[in-house]
Amino acid sequence: MTRPTRRRTVLLAAVTAAALVASACGRDSGGDDAPAEGEAVSQGKASGEINVWAMGTEGEKLSVLADDFMKDNPDAKVNVTAVPWDGAHNKISAAIAGQQTPDVTMLGTTWIGEFAKTGALDVVPSDFVSEEDFFPGAWETGVVDGTSYSVPWYVETRLLYVNSAVAEKAGITEPPATWDELKQAVKDMQEKGGAKWGTYLQPGQTGSWQTVVPFIWQNGGDVYDGENFTLDSPEATEALEYYQSFYTEGLSTKDRLREGETEPKILSGEIGSFVSGPWHIGLLNELGGEGKFELWPMPSGPGEANSFIGGSNMSVFKESKNRDAAWKFVSYLMQPEVQVKWYQTVNDLPAVQKAWDDEALSGDEQLKIFGDQLDKAKAPPSIPTWEQIAAGVDTELEKIAKGTATPADAAKAMQAQATSIGSGG
Amino acid sequence: MSARPGALTRALTGWAFALPFAALFLVFTAGPVLASLLMSLTDLGRADLLDPLGVNIVGLDNYVRLFGDPKFVTASVNTAVFVVVGVPLTMAVGLLVALGLNSGLIKFRALFRVGYYLPVVTSIVAISVVWRFLLQPETGLLNELLGLVGIAGPNWLNNETFALPTLIVMGAWRNLGFAMVIFLAGLQAIPKDLYEAATIDGARKWAQLRYLTVPMLRPTMLFVAVITTIGYVQFFEEPFVMTQGGPLDSTLSMAFHTYNQFGFGNYGYASAMGYVLFVVVVLLSIAWFRLLRNNLD
Repeated sequence: MTRPTRRRTVLLAAVTAAALVASACGRDSGGDDAPAEGEAVSQGKASGEINVWAMGTEGEKLSVLADDFMKDNPDAKVNVTAVPWDGAHNKISAAIAGQQTPDVTMLGTTWIGEFAKTGALDVVPSDFVSEEDFFPGAWETGVVDGTSYSVPWYVETRLLYVNSAVAEKAGITEPPATWDELKQAVKDMQEKGGAKWGTYLQPGQTGSWQTVVPFIWQNGGDVYDGENFTLDSPEATEALEYYQSFYTEGLSTKDRLREGETEPKILSGEIGSFVSGPWHIGLLNELGGEGKFELWPMPSGPGEANSFIGGSNMSVFKESKNRDAAWKFVSYLMQPEVQVKWYQTVNDLPAVQKAWDDEALSGDEQLKIFGDQLDKAKAPPSIPTWEQIAAGVDTELEKIAKGTATPADAAKAMQAQATSIGSGG
Repeated sequence: MSARPGALTRALTGWAFALPFAALFLVFTAGPVLASLLMSLTDLGRADLLDPLGVNIVGLDNYVRLFGDPKFVTASVNTAVFVVVGVPLTMAVGLLVALGLNSGLIKFRALFRVGYYLPVVTSIVAISVVWRFLLQPETGLLNELLGLVGIAGPNWLNNETFALPTLIVMGAWRNLGFAMVIFLAGLQAIPKDLYEAATIDGARKWAQLRYLTVPMLRPTMLFVAVITTIGYVQFFEEPFVMTQGGPLDSTLSMAFHTYNQFGFGNYGYASAMGYVLFVVVVLLSIAWFRLLRNNLD
């Protein structure tokens, strides 16, 4: 048996131990929270070495864009390091602690809060990257306490994937626009459409908040108002009741489906619909699902028809020895035509709105639905403790789905946990 | 030949040989262990990464908080169940297999030995994929077999009652090969003439096992018990790959909870958890070694 705990402890402790020379302890109090502006970036072409970390497929393919960039900037050399997603969070933490950061790194949208708080991220130079170019929900993911630390690179949002045959048999011609219509559509797909389950909503556990928090938004509520958590507000509790009703009415299974289990079930019509992001277009098509499924935008409750926005951002580290060139590279990635090329390379949806005018994207019916949803997509609060709070929310959602807690009790428990963890400010 | 220079040279040579290990041990093991003890007394978090010394000393606060953390209590209970049920189960099955291999089936002994030992050296990721197939609620082999005798098998990994027992069985399956190998060695070290004498005295197979084999295996058993307990207290991989601690935290272990807390960047708090785990391992090991010593006397 290996001992991950020990190993992690050892690793992290080694980092601390290295710095344990002699110094009085005690945290700096204060620290001004006023929004900061990034320093201006020099004009002209980039030069020198730029070290970039990127995760997953993006890490493997980013060199394609880096090569183009180096053609335009012959004096610059971009070194891309591919980092596996699993280890990325730790690797970046360790790099910050050891002050051995690269110049640029890709960051998950929910990580910005915590890494910004370490003070290691450079403030986005506002004269160099402009907010208006991006989807507002995406831009917000990079903003912590009013200061922008990160630029959205690509985005994703969630829609309902629906088995067309089941929907047709159920007599559904228009995507449902409201909560009541959605519930009815799901019921019809089960009763008339022949699906065993009208829908599949993830019954709690890791990441289920991404499905449920949009319900709270759609109901006109929110999870955090900038000072306090509002997870037990009437709007939130109602949203949780709506979520639970899918299980109590037998419309969704309470058993969690593992990776790879959902796709065959949706294509066979065993499940009528499920909520997921753009990557599922490719996954379903690979299984021969082309033309067998359709996409529905999120319904609205009393509030707006919001969905969850995710994706990844690009940040520059303060310690960067080549800061100006680093920002030039980041801003290059955000040019509309580069964003389109990136979409064509790895199918990542552009965070820059103008890129969506390109034929490659606007010509695709299914993508267009994603594009429209992105206008009404929100991000979770960019506070350092969000991942931990979300884990607590996931636990309570599981209780709701399994019926071991009432939505009201679960909402109180979420609120209490979130409040005791705090916003990390 | 004068004694002193010789002794000095010998001492120096000895230290020179020990130095690489001692240095590595101090820097990469003892140092971090001490540092994480210090960490556990502070509120070190991710925001302190750039300035790890600028933290507040909170004394034993983290430890006090731990025992009021319902997740930690759940995790401790789950871990205790895993150890209390899993260790005897692994040892019993391991011993049974060893006895079988030591007596009959001589022809295929090597084959079976390899077969039972294979899970020990197989990657947990590969194992998890196969086990998940076996445990699938509708199409899994296990539930199909149960269906043949008219039992509707549960959704093993998604059921709060069955998830932990399933992981215990899986853990036992994975680790019985190790117990088996050690037991086999122990069995082969028992002198044959003892069995001859027992046979002459009229002891049957069961009596031989009960009054001869088991007592002679005591030291081996205690060794296997110590190693298995230490491993099982740090129960982590099975829930990590199979259930992620769910459903409803029914398979959350202490080590997994600690791992999560490190992930959230609560380094101080997570270190405190790591230390509680460390103390538990030390105490259990001391307990086992006491037993071992008494038995050898």
